[in-house]
Formats: sequence, C-alpha cells, structure tokens
Amino acid sequence: MKKQRREFMRTPLNTPTRLRSCVLLLVFLSLLLTFGCTRSGDRNREGTDTGGKTVVDFWNGFTGPDGKMMERLVRRFQKENPDVSVRMQIIPWGTYYDKLTLSLAYGGAPEVFVVHAGRLAEFAAFDVLRPLDDLYAAAQPPVRAEQFAAVPWQASFYKERPMGLPLDVHPMGLYYNTRLFEKAGIVDAAGKAKPPADWDEFVQAARKLTKDTNEDGRTDQWGFVFTWQRTNFITFAAQFGGGILSPDGKSCAMDSPQTREALRRMHDLIYKYKVAPKPEGVDAWLAFRQGKAAMALEGLYMVTSLEEQKSLSFAGAPVPQFGPERGVWGGSHLLCQPREIAPGRAQAAWRLMRFLSQNSLSWAEGGQVPARVALRQSPKFAALPVQAQFARQLSHVRYDPLTPKINALFPFVDPAVEAVLLDLQTPEEATSDACRRIEQVLKRP
Amino acid sequence: MSVLPHRRSATRSLRDDGWAGVLFALPHFALFTVFVLAPVVYGFYISLHRWHILAKTHPLIGLGNYGAALSDDVFRIALWNTVYFVVLVVPVGNLVSLLLALGLAGVRRFQTFYKISYYLPVVISIAVVAVLWRWLYNTQIGLLNLYLEAVVGGLRSIGLPLPAFEPLPWLSNPSWVMPSIALLSIWWGAGGNMVLYLAGINNIPEDYHEAAVIDGANSWQRFWAVTWPLLRPTTLFCLVFSVLGAFQIFGQTYVLFAPGSGPARSGLTLALYMYQQGFSQYEIGYGAAIAYLLFALVLILTVIQFRLLSNRDDEPSQANRRTA
Repeated sequence: MKKQRREFMRTPLNTPTRLRSCVLLLVFLSLLLTFGCTRSGDRNREGTDTGGKTVVDFWNGFTGPDGKMMERLVRRFQKENPDVSVRMQIIPWGTYYDKLTLSLAYGGAPEVFVVHAGRLAEFAAFDVLRPLDDLYAAAQPPVRAEQFAAVPWQASFYKERPMGLPLDVHPMGLYYNTRLFEKAGIVDAAGKAKPPADWDEFVQAARKLTKDTNEDGRTDQWGFVFTWQRTNFITFAAQFGGGILSPDGKSCAMDSPQTREALRRMHDLIYKYKVAPKPEGVDAWLAFRQGKAAMALEGLYMVTSLEEQKSLSFAGAPVPQFGPERGVWGGSHLLCQPREIAPGRAQAAWRLMRFLSQNSLSWAEGGQVPARVALRQSPKFAALPVQAQFARQLSHVRYDPLTPKINALFPFVDPAVEAVLLDLQTPEEATSDACRRIEQVLKRP
Repeated sequence: MSVLPHRRSATRSLRDDGWAGVLFALPHFALFTVFVLAPVVYGFYISLHRWHILAKTHPLIGLGNYGAALSDDVFRIALWNTVYFVVLVVPVGNLVSLLLALGLAGVRRFQTFYKISYYLPVVISIAVVAVLWRWLYNTQIGLLNLYLEAVVGGLRSIGLPLPAFEPLPWLSNPSWVMPSIALLSIWWGAGGNMVLYLAGINNIPEDYHEAAVIDGANSWQRFWAVTWPLLRPTTLFCLVFSVLGAFQIFGQTYVLFAPGSGPARSGLTLALYMYQQGFSQYEIGYGAAIAYLLFALVLILTVIQFRLLSNRDDEPSQANRRTA
C-alpha cells in the first residue's frame, strides 16, 4: 500500500491524464472566478419578484430613531399597497453617499433614495437623477408649489426641473437647559426659563451660565458650546450677510467683511467673553447632554435623542438674532429616482414617494418639520414642542450652498472655521487662505 | 520517423522546460493579474484622465493630474505630515523594538509569555487600536491624562515645584497630533520588529560573545562590538520595511479623524488624501495620480535603501581585501 502511494506520488505530472485534469481544474477555477464576479439575484427587467410583486429598493441613511419611524411608515405603505414589495436599506450617512454614487455610476441604484438638498445639484449636474415633472403633472391632485414650504421646494429644482420630492426640513435651532437657566435666574415673568432673542441677551445669558461650580479655578459649566462647527458657521455667516459663496454661487464669499465679522463673533464667544470652551478635546454635544453646557445650536434631528434622556430638562427655541439679517442653517431630505429606472418600477416607486410625503407628519415626530404646508399647519404638529419652535424659522432657512461642487468646497471651509475657533489663525488669514483654494475649485471645469 | 518517439520527446521537453511549474503557478498568476496587475495598470490609465466617477466622459489630460497635485498645497501638507510621521516613527520604533528584543534575549524564564505579550498588539486590527487610543488620548476623560494628573499631583504634594497639571491636548492641538499618532503606531507595531530583532540576536553564534568576555569586554562593549554589527542585516531589513509601511499610514488617521483629518489638517497623510480625493470627492483620476506619486516616492526611497544595504554588505569584504 505504502509503495503504491509512493508510486502514485512519483507519477510524473505531465502524463496526458494528469495534464488533462490539471487543465480541467484550471478551467473550473477560471469559470468560478468569472461567475463569482457577476451580480447574483438580479431581478427580471419588469422589476417583479417571484410573487408577482413589484420590487422597489429604497435607500436612506436614517440610522437613528428616525429610522424606526421610517420603517413604520414603509410598513404602513406595504399594507396599503400589497402589490409592491419595498426593500429598505439603511446605510449610515458616513458611507451612504459613497455607496449611492457608485451605484448610480456603475449600476445597482435603488428605485427611491434620499438626497440632502445640499447634495442634489451634484447628482443632478451629472445627469443621474430622473426629472419628476411628468409624475408631478400626472398625480391626482397634481403636485404643486403651493403645497410645499417655499425653501425646500425651490431647493428641489435643478435647472428649472424638479429632481427630488421634498420630504422635510430640519432647521438648526437653540437647545437650552431649562434647569440651568432657572438656577441662574434667566426667567420670564412666570418664572420659566427664557431663551435669549438677540446677541446681547445671548452673551448676557451665556455669561451668567458660565461657572466654576467646584471652585478649582477652572470653568466646569459653560454658557454655550460649539457642536457642529460647519452648521454653526453657516448660521452666523447668514445672519451677518455673509456665507461660503456669493449668492450667484460663482465666487467665494468667505473673505467678505460680513463673513469675517461672523467668524469674529464666534471667536469672541470663546476668547473674549469666555463663555464657550475651546473646541479642543471636548465632546460638545455630550457636554450639553450632561448639563455641562447650557446652550447649543443644533439641528432638529437631535431632538429625539434628548427626549429619550429623562434626566435632562431642555427646551428648543429659534436661533437668537445675532446679526442684522435673518438666517439659520437647515437641511432637507429629498426623495429621488435614478435616471436609469425600469418603466415598470417607476410608477410603484412614485407611489412610495407620494405616500411618504403625504404621511410625513408622523415622520416629523422623529425630529423633522414636514415640507408640506398642510401638515405643518395641523394641530398635531403644533403639539410637538421643539419641532413647532424650530419651524418658526422656516422662511429663512439656509442650505449648504446649492452648487454641484459643494462636496469639494467643504474640505476648505471646515479647516478655516476650525482654525479660527482654535485661535490658530485670525478670521482674515483663515478666510483668505480658504478663498484662494475655493476659487481654484470653482475655476476647475 | 514514428509518431510515438516524437511524442515522448515532447512530454519530456514539457517536463524539462518546467511547463508543469508554469501550470502550477497559473492559478496564482491569474488571481494576481485580475486583482493586482490589472488594477495597477488601469490605475495609471485613470490617472491620465480627468475622471469623476459620475461623469459620462473622461477626457485625457496627460500628466495634468500630476501637475495639479504637485502645485496643490494640501498635497504638500499631506506629504509633509507623512514625512514627519516616517521620521518620528521609524527610528524611535526600531529603537524600541531593538531594546525589547535585547531585553527579551536575556530573559530565560517566561520568555514566550513576554514575547506573546509584546507581540499581541500587532495582531489587533488598526481600527480597534485607533478607537482604543482615542479614548486613552481624550483630553477630558482619557486615561493618559488621568494618570499624568495623578503623577503630577503626587509630586506636587511631596513638595516638588511643579506647575498645576493642564490636560494635554493629545489629539486636539495640531502640533501634538503627529507625535500622538506616532506613539500609538509604535505601540501597535513594535512587537513585529521585535520578533525579527530577537531572531537576529539569537542567530549570532555564542562563540563571539564568549571570545569577547574572555577579552574582558563589558556588556556595552559586547553589544557595540559584537551584537550591533552582526545584527546589521536585520536592522536594515527592519528599517526598509518600516519606511515602506510608515509611508502608507492610513488607518490611524482615518479612524481618529475621518473627514477633516484632524485640527488644521495635522493628521492628513498622503494615503488619506488619495482616499479622500478618490472616494469622497469621487475624483478618481486625481486620486490615482496621488497614489502614483506616493508609489514613486516610496520606490525611490527603497532603491536608495537597498543600495545602502548592498554597499554595507560589501564593506567587510573590501576591508578584508585591504588587509590582505
């Protein structure tokens, strides 16, 4: 037996049978490679699955409590539309656009997907979105401008064609810790915490709220804290008449005197009035949640996480009027379809989009303002305390600049704002530096 | 001429020419071509075009992307940060590995236990390491600052004239960022080179040491005259590979800082900038050009290092020749 095996092992490989089996193995391996790389489970071209239902893939990035709201809404849609099968995929925002972009470029894009108002122009400019005007006109009743808040409605157009159905608006607002306010005596006639309405009131309140509670020579309770610097900056800049780009979107406006003034005020809160911590090694939002900071400017989407924290007494108010103009950062989720969509599925996808839009009141509970006017004016919405307060700012919401190049601009905007807040550069230095680079990007074809 | 002998000779030639070997290598070669060679060549092709992922056309712009990168000051910042990191991490990292190996070589009991303990970080994924160190480095609640505060407090209480402890801004002050990342990286990677140094030390014949002892050499002299010169091939090998690895630093800063790449871009490295351009800005043509510039840089440095390596190897023989 042993001998036999040795003999076998000694058999030259290149005898015809052995050679043939080797070649066969190689062919098999290469086939494996070829078929391993093709897409599996592709649906047929009419877009129906085996049960005769129309399949609609729906991608979004709602990983928080908002995702649960969306799941509930989609389930309701399924019940009312048994002929459609919705496959929702929630992808964290951090990687969402990478995945979406690749699917739009190389195939496999979902039938319905969410795009932020600020990112719409980028996708529309590359012609990967399906214009919705025919669907708007054919709908019963037709989809029209007056049904929606003006700001998101306008932002949903690219070159005068509607590219995404506005679902919501999430403006920035002032979150404040009512217990700390009452402790510091910042109250109205009824003895309730009173949010500041303008710059002076804001600085005054912040000063009262900045304390060294354990008297070790270090501040441990701050009046204000910068959370997301980018959105804070866009709000400040809008109020002082500045911004990232000029209104026509063709040149950099960061080095304008208005924007610089806005940055100077932000800087002052840390270094002149000393009411906000230097953004160095501070988890700013955690500080607010822990009651170590009394005020923060954040998006409406943060409200559910605060509501879940029973130990925190907080309320929401519009952003104080810091500068001469009205303006507050905000975002919107738009529902879009890809340019390449099977005709059979476009209608089912549209039914899902309309359903979500028409039922966006329950979506609002997850920290949104519905884009539809009728829903916003309903008593049910007015009963949502923070949402209703933040919604008062809807007329002057400012999005990220609506330009196809926005994604290439932020890498220069963010470090400039950060450099000012860390006191590494003056507003003049930081903004001329940023503008030089932004102009380069704008000039690129 | 009959057919049979001819055939036999063909099979023989097949064997003699090593065709069987080629066949065996084919599966690997196929995979290598599909997953390495083709992407490398295609990447170079992409780098010659203006290539946005979503764009329908990709105009050829020759070396335009390369020119743009060389005149892009963010690229220069990334290059500087990368070089700074290499300069910090390669000498210190190798010194730490060497010291650990020297220490371990002298340990008789539990050597394997210590070896494993020091080697363990190497097998942890960089994502885990970076998350771990982000907590250690936290200015407010990080363990490092907490311990330092306790130490400074203790020294002050026994009367040393030290200033009150100010929390160190490990990851939030631009000038601290790279040293902090270097420290993390050394902790993560020191065990790898340590094992190589240890193997190198163990390969030195005991006779040399014995001879040195007989000549009355102390431990420092033994290290300097015996261990260090005989360890040179290992040292150079470790240095070359440390430099190669350090230039490609990505995971640490990606996990620690993600999009902005740290305060004032202090954590932005070349590999990260390439990734950002390619996969956040979707300008894959530009990203590919950055990748090729990084490749060229590393290639040049490697060639230089290999030259040094071979020259050093020549030295003893030349010396021998001279004495002869």
